[in-house]
Amino acid sequence: MFDVDYIRPQDLEEALDFLSEHGPDTTILAGGTDVMIDARSGVLQGKYLLDVSRLSAMHDIEVRENELAIGAAVTINELNASETIGRYAPALQKATHRFASRQVRNIATIGGNVAHCSPCGDTIPPLLIHDAAAVVVTPRGRRVVTIEEIAGGPYHCTLKPDELITHFILKPKPDDVEFSDFQKIGRRKELAISRMSMAAMAGQAGDKSISFIRFALGSCTPTPSRFREIEEMLLGRKPDEMLLWNAGRLLSKRMLDITGRRLSAVYKEPAIQGLFVRMMYPLTR
Amino acid sequence: MKKSRYHLRFALNGEEKSLDIEPGISALELIRDILDLKGTKEGCGMGECGACTIIVDGKAINACLMFAAQLDGRTVLTVEGLGRDEELHPIQQSFIEHHAVQCGFCTPGFLMSAHALLEENPKPERNEIVKAISGNLCRCTGYQNIITGIEDAAERCCRSQKISKK
Repeated sequence: MFDVDYIRPQDLEEALDFLSEHGPDTTILAGGTDVMIDARSGVLQGKYLLDVSRLSAMHDIEVRENELAIGAAVTINELNASETIGRYAPALQKATHRFASRQVRNIATIGGNVAHCSPCGDTIPPLLIHDAAAVVVTPRGRRVVTIEEIAGGPYHCTLKPDELITHFILKPKPDDVEFSDFQKIGRRKELAISRMSMAAMAGQAGDKSISFIRFALGSCTPTPSRFREIEEMLLGRKPDEMLLWNAGRLLSKRMLDITGRRLSAVYKEPAIQGLFVRMMYPLTR
Repeated sequence: MKKSRYHLRFALNGEEKSLDIEPGISALELIRDILDLKGTKEGCGMGECGACTIIVDGKAINACLMFAAQLDGRTVLTVEGLGRDEELHPIQQSFIEHHAVQCGFCTPGFLMSAHALLEENPKPERNEIVKAISGNLCRCTGYQNIITGIEDAAERCCRSQKISKK
């Protein structure tokens, strides 16, 4: 049992009023799958749990004016089942297939996964390749924060105590971009935190050269990130195995530049190259 | 700071429940310690074993990862609501006949995951069964009998639905 009060606001205004008064003492609760773990490990600071999971303002999935909007309280399973996500953000949908377990997917939310700022959050690399941003509201107004800006470091969320993510805005996958994938390596097929994860989107011109590319890496660096150097290396080139291995080697080098050569490098260095080539291989055909 | 108690109202195994709770307890503590239903087990307390699986609004959920207060207004099923001593649910009967139970600790969780699957997908393929129970760990059986048990349960449930429709 934890020493907290549970509050469930009826609407967004009520939630923001509560945060304006009690923000620093409040933990935002959506699915609760990460909150409960934090509570058990003694990391939970707040006196209040603010349950935003049922706020109708945070449940939509829709495309409007060439933007894909996903409510922060949308569950991982809802993303998994959504035709809109399958069409406009397929890498994100693929990331939900093996996310944790079915039991967790049924209540965990995309907002929680992003705001928890785990280096291994599986929704984050796909959000990065879609240039996603979070719409963050406070009693004072609203601001837009890119996914890259939300995490200041592992498990360090830069949002202020009275701020609430209501939804995410993604650039939809362009119709002429046919390749989009998410791959992860975990110790098991399910119930496995990613040891490494990758998301990519690529479009090819008539001569097979890459006309559009987005790539992001997760679980290997303090926060998941886009690797624009890899994108630049591939853009305009006709992909073959040699190019992919070279790009994979550059990727592992850049990863090690960030993390330093840890004990896990013996495993991660070849694994990241192999996973990259495996994921991008369809582009060579 | 004095916490206030939280008044919880939800449907449990077909019965309306209305009670005051400490807001900081998990759904698992509520079910086992306050409501005295011991079928749902705590295997890890971290959402990594599925022994605490219950069904909330038709969806399989780890009770150890939910705060009890999140159950407010929901419909909850635990293993006690699945069948009765005098008349086991077809899934339970199938588990027994296919030797899908050894120590039995994981069994309630598997029954719940299986039931949630069959309610949503009455005729699952084997790989769909495997995917649906991937959030439940068993240290005894090696899973094959559990999978076969669920395959057979699907047929039994299908048959009994046809019988009740006649």
